[in-house]
Amino acid sequence: MGKILIVDDTLFMRTLLKNILFSGGHTIAGEAVDGDDAIEKYRELKPDLVTMDVVMPKMNGIEALKGIRSLDPNAKVIMCTAVGQEQMVKLAIKTGARGYIVKPFQAPKVLEEIKNVLGS
Amino acid sequence: MAEIPVKIERDGTWHVVKIIVDKDQIQIPAPFSLRIPYKQIIDLREKKNTLSITIRGNPEKTILLATVPQAMLVLKRMIALSCSAYRLAAYFMSPAIRGGVLVTDARWEKGSIAVMKTGIWFVSEAQQVCIPLTDVTGIEVTKREVQKKQVDVVKIDHMENADVVTSYVLCPLSTLQVLFDFLKDATKEMEMRGDELDAVSAQVGMLIYSGMDSRAIESMLSISYDQLDGIFEKLLNLGLIEVTHIRKEVQLTPKGVRFITEAVKPPT
Repeated sequence: MGKILIVDDTLFMRTLLKNILFSGGHTIAGEAVDGDDAIEKYRELKPDLVTMDVVMPKMNGIEALKGIRSLDPNAKVIMCTAVGQEQMVKLAIKTGARGYIVKPFQAPKVLEEIKNVLGS
Repeated sequence: MAEIPVKIERDGTWHVVKIIVDKDQIQIPAPFSLRIPYKQIIDLREKKNTLSITIRGNPEKTILLATVPQAMLVLKRMIALSCSAYRLAAYFMSPAIRGGVLVTDARWEKGSIAVMKTGIWFVSEAQQVCIPLTDVTGIEVTKREVQKKQVDVVKIDHMENADVVTSYVLCPLSTLQVLFDFLKDATKEMEMRGDELDAVSAQVGMLIYSGMDSRAIESMLSISYDQLDGIFEKLLNLGLIEVTHIRKEVQLTPKGVRFITEAVKPPT
């Protein structure tokens, strides 16, 4: 089980992810609403894993991923994006994302992916 | 020629026989005594561990058989590649996404697509995947990067057990369009206009997709039991959801209150 930071600009998605993570026995380290906030919260909370939305205001998820990886090269970040933005996958993986989930998603699969990444 | 032990169903009873799989036909011995040329097979369905084979005729005849996984692979491959179906050479990636999670070791496989009466089959050296048309939840032509080039592919979303799975098909543009049009037409009953749902109902739909139960939905969207019930009714009428079970809401009877009161008393 891990301490997880949820990064998403929409309250709805953050709440959904929070519910899924709780049901899987994880704890929520915190929530961030954009890339800048994500880097700040990562520095402050040192979570075991981050779920990171790709499209966000101010700083997008890819830039935030770069920022977090510069703070901690071993950071475990799972990117989260909408259908149709799969072209971002390669860029995110190249930047160091450990996993990728596409909205809409199913809770058991998300928990499975988080377990894999936490165990890696 | 290969001899394969199988179980075949007839009138509710399973019979163990050894069928002969030839290059152009299947022979089933007594008590069935059938010779089935592949070209007479018009449909093939896989349900759990059984294979349902439909043979042309008036009326059509359907054979239900089961066998060990290794033999099943041989049978599926032979039938899907040789039966009467619209077939095209293609590359496919299945599954590419499962339950919203990207399958990291997914790769393009060279093979064939066989379009049959009730479903489509992806057949390659390594695997045979059947997607029943009734399980297709979305089709679109989209772009994927293949060998550093953006190419058109057909994206097929479908249900596999309880998982929502995304698969991709890559083939020449003209055949791609034929496949897309066929699938679009075969699944048109599932299409919605898009203006039939308000924002809250759509959010409820998304939460159901993600596996949230009624209580979680009520709490996440700050809606009452009655409001959620009304939304469920709307989604039911549109054919978007089905009732899986009804949870009872209860309160204690006087007998129940007495029992609980007694039960929590410290022992004397």
